Amino acid sequence: MPDKVILKVKEMETYIGQYHILQGINLEVHEGYVTVLIGRNGAGKTTTLRSIIGLTPPSKGSVEFNGEMIHGLPPYAIARKGMALVPEDQGIFSQLTVEENFKIAMYKEDKQTLDRKDWILDIFPDLKPKLKLKAGSLSGGQKQMLSISRALVNNSKLLLIDEPSKGLAPIMVETLANAIKQIKDHTTVVLVEQNFWLASEVGERYYIIDDGQTVQEGVMADLIQDKVLQKRYLGIGTKE
Amino acid sequence: MDIFVNLTIAGLSTGMMYYLLSSGLSLIYGLMGVLNFAHGSVFMYGAYAGVLVFGLTGSFTFGIIAAIVVGAIVGYTMERLVISRVYGQHLAQILLTTGLMLVLNELIKIPFGSNILPAFQPEALQSSWQIGEIVIVKYRIFLIIIGLVVATILNAVMAKTKLGMTVRAGVQNPEMVQVLGINIKKVFSFVFILGSALSALGGILMAPALGAINPEIGLMYQMTGFMVVVIGGMGSLTGTLFSSLLVGLASSYTAYVYPDAATAVIVIVMIVVLLIKPSGLFGKGAE
Amino acid sequence: MQQIKTVAPSVRKSLMNNWMLQIIIVVILAVIPFITGRPTQNMLILIFCMSVFAMSYDILLGYTGVISFGHAMFFGIGAYGISIYLANAKATMGNILLATLIALAVSMIISVFIGFLSLRVKNTYYAMITLAFAQVGVILAEKARHITNGYDGMTFRVSSVLMNKMLFYYIALGFLVLSFIFMWKFTTSPTGRVLVAIRENEQRAKFIGFNTLRYKIISTVVAGAMASLAGSMYAIHMRFVSTSVLGVAKTIDALLATVIGGMGNLYGAILGTGIVNFAGEYLSKLAKVHPIFERWYIIFGLLYILIVLFAPQGVIGLIKKITNKIAAKSVKR
Ligand SMILES: Nc1ncnc2c1ncn2[C@@H]1O[C@H](COP(=O)(O)OP(=O)(O)O)[C@@H](O)[C@H]1O
Ligand SMILES: [Mg+2]
Repeated sequence: MPDKVILKVKEMETYIGQYHILQGINLEVHEGYVTVLIGRNGAGKTTTLRSIIGLTPPSKGSVEFNGEMIHGLPPYAIARKGMALVPEDQGIFSQLTVEENFKIAMYKEDKQTLDRKDWILDIFPDLKPKLKLKAGSLSGGQKQMLSISRALVNNSKLLLIDEPSKGLAPIMVETLANAIKQIKDHTTVVLVEQNFWLASEVGERYYIIDDGQTVQEGVMADLIQDKVLQKRYLGIGTKE
Repeated sequence: MDIFVNLTIAGLSTGMMYYLLSSGLSLIYGLMGVLNFAHGSVFMYGAYAGVLVFGLTGSFTFGIIAAIVVGAIVGYTMERLVISRVYGQHLAQILLTTGLMLVLNELIKIPFGSNILPAFQPEALQSSWQIGEIVIVKYRIFLIIIGLVVATILNAVMAKTKLGMTVRAGVQNPEMVQVLGINIKKVFSFVFILGSALSALGGILMAPALGAINPEIGLMYQMTGFMVVVIGGMGSLTGTLFSSLLVGLASSYTAYVYPDAATAVIVIVMIVVLLIKPSGLFGKGAE
Repeated sequence: MQQIKTVAPSVRKSLMNNWMLQIIIVVILAVIPFITGRPTQNMLILIFCMSVFAMSYDILLGYTGVISFGHAMFFGIGAYGISIYLANAKATMGNILLATLIALAVSMIISVFIGFLSLRVKNTYYAMITLAFAQVGVILAEKARHITNGYDGMTFRVSSVLMNKMLFYYIALGFLVLSFIFMWKFTTSPTGRVLVAIRENEQRAKFIGFNTLRYKIISTVVAGAMASLAGSMYAIHMRFVSTSVLGVAKTIDALLATVIGGMGNLYGAILGTGIVNFAGEYLSKLAKVHPIFERWYIIFGLLYILIVLFAPQGVIGLIKKITNKIAAKSVKR
């Protein structure tokens, strides 16, 4: 069976206030793969994810998810169609307990959902003893795990993750890589990642975003070989 | 000693009314970022509705119910008709709620005029207990009990229900609540109705303690309500309760020593809090 | 991308930079005393003073995006500065000037304090805290009854030159023109443009590297100073000051005028003050005949809400739209 395109973004443009931030984003995300979005700081990766899920609604172009046009819908409606976001700042409710952070995300508290939660807690065992604690008391890495776990609890078809490695110790990044490898058998992942090691470890397809536009796409293995491209758009290889 | 006890009871009961008024103000601001300048008007409408129905039926309970219903309706109408159009635009929100305040404060004068309307205590609560030198006004105790009951229920709803959880989460990060598939607009409506009903309840309960009401009480109490939430910290119910009682007691004691200074004392407390902890005693760090 | 947009550039082009129009308006206003009676003159003097007050409010609301509910406090300080001083000293020009300057200084100091206290938290705090301060101001003025005569108000004498209403009309008109020029220069200065940038997107202004708190405080000081001057002029005109000059209602008058006229361009504040005053006078006269109009303030309230919702540029914006349409039509032909 040929790959199914689960998310198709066409010529998406987004304004924030009077600023034209996204000026033409094109993406095709294939079901069952990890697609990585890379690009310099300020290139528009975060805004791309936020526009897809409706937080900064695009003013032009289209977003097709699972065969349906979803641009213009409010974020909660898009989420209900089976999309989840792990935002750049993790979006943890620090005043709520870890348990409550799960609870608030659950659409239903049926057996399926609760089983899934157990499965998630097996992937991130660090969270298990912390369930009753305020989420604000977690370490940075644990917060990231909670954010990803919470996004998985509803069996979403598509998971958008924004720079999960930001501010994490290298050992944590490895844990993260393993977790994403386990997750991708269950759900499609779009990963924004600046950490090239993590991107190449889990990524299968890639898009490069520059100045609010998608400028390159391809198979991750090719990008790993292509030092010129890396240098041009990612500044890799030049000593900072 | 007897005076001290009386002032304390008076301060606590007034403080409880401030709590009813301010909890909605604080939640609405904390969750939606809306500084509701018409909140005091809802308080005043609650007072008028309650006093009117109490006068017609002779039942204070009916008066209270009428106030709550009117408060909820006014709140819901404001939210749906006007405020929901400008979520996220802070300036437009204050401008619009100010306009609503102007209109509401004038509308009430059509049936009632701008003169005072006397407000009575229910008969059963008119007397007082005498313990030695100390005279305890029953109505004041009634206010304190109602305040405690409401505070307890409100805290339980916030702590135990999914709706309460959503409100707490929304105060911190309304965007993320949406991303988790929750229609935050519905939560907004709910909180607006709840806050308005509480404010109106505060209005009818406060009316007999004042002895008479007029259209000006809305803005007057709202001003105190603002200071309460600034001192307590926006979005924190615990902070609002603490600060309400603090402000109630402070103004009660000051009013005894030097009545004219009561408002000034609250302002000074507010200035001190703002200088030391700008986000309020129980507030999250300033954004 | 970094370029900072000022308000409604097209409004500017069509109306604002048209200095011919400005001169015509000033000339008409200068001729008016010769063709109208005393009541209209007095009304216009009042509108000149209140226009300066409304423009100073526009600096906060329209240019900085900050709402005040206590702006009348500065107006009141200016007014009480004159009245208290002149009630206790000889009404010479020197004393009047001195009183005005003292009030000005007091207003500026207080506005720095309130600005610092509230604006470092959030802009919305300014609304609440100014309301509280204004209330304290009213209470103070009420309680200092032996000085201010409270709500009943105090009367006082001004120098005989200023009693000549014909002359004072031109002084007030000159005050309006000079104040306008000063505030126009201020809002179009680099500082003024930073204020607009803050109003548009404070986060970004901060990001670019501006100390936004400092700029916002500068804005409140300029607005407070101009309000104080307007209050002083008002007091000289009325020769009577009561606590109502300090109250929330006075501030709301400026708010209504600014929003109805159109915020963020100073012209709107003047136009709005004219509309609010003339319409208010007309409607309250009408109320004496038809009691239905007794609650005419509701009309303003509703008009104001509709304008905020559907015509945020106010009457000035509507005029612009209409003139643009006419211009477009004539081009077609
Ligand atoms: N709220 C905002 N207001 C103005 N500009 C913004 C806002 N958010 C993001 N931007 C701008 O949009 C561009 C893209 O930002 P972002 O999507 O966060 O980039 P990335 O995630 O690739 O680092 C940046 O230039 C940033 O300054
Ligand atoms: Mg980013």
